[in-house]
Amino acid sequence: MSRNIPIKVARVQLDMTQKQLADEVGVSRQTINAIEQGEYNPTIKLCRTICKVLGKSLDELFGEEE
Amino acid sequence: MKKERKNYLDEMKEQQLLHIEKNGCWIAFWGLFIVMQIQTFTEGEFLGKQSMGEWLVFMILALYLVIACIRRGIWSRNLKPNATTNLIASLIAGVVIGAVFGIKAYIDYDSFAGAIATGVVIFIGIFFSCFITLSLSAAILKKRNAKLENEEDDIQKAAVCEETEENV
Repeated sequence: MSRNIPIKVARVQLDMTQKQLADEVGVSRQTINAIEQGEYNPTIKLCRTICKVLGKSLDELFGEEE
Repeated sequence: MKKERKNYLDEMKEQQLLHIEKNGCWIAFWGLFIVMQIQTFTEGEFLGKQSMGEWLVFMILALYLVIACIRRGIWSRNLKPNATTNLIASLIAGVVIGAVFGIKAYIDYDSFAGAIATGVVIFIGIFFSCFITLSLSAAILKKRNAKLENEEDDIQKAAVCEETEENV
């Protein structure tokens, strides 16, 4: 699985650490790190929560790259 | 509707725990299978003792579960690693094992006082060893979790670098 760069970029734009994002989303920092590293494929429920917190759409964060 | 108990694991950790449990299931399956095959040649004995094979598989499985869970910072779905939980779990373990040994002593020696004494001694031994082991495991787990949760990510690293550069 490839790295999820869009999440990292969106997070950096909001000047959030992985820990802050994890607390907002309600998961552990390890989970956010694993998603960014492409080591974990989150459920649609978690994807939507991350999108909501980062103010992005599902396509922007989790859409397939061309 | 059935009320669900609170799950302290997030979805990734839940999946990791399911994976550990799956591996544990196969360790138990193949371990017991191997022991059973060996016992067919040794009249039910393994390493010279009855039920030693099952005991060995049980200990390997327990060790695997503990190490795998602690490595990933997982304790339990529904329990938190604190002194109260450890105390209750140790009490339950002590009472159950104490009762089993007490009943066995009564069947073997037909003495009620002896059975009670055996049960109490076993209860004390199991209770303390369980409590110490659980407390140690909980301490190791908390240390591991703190390490996993507080690893610096790129933004924190960048902030530290910026601060250092400014100071220089």
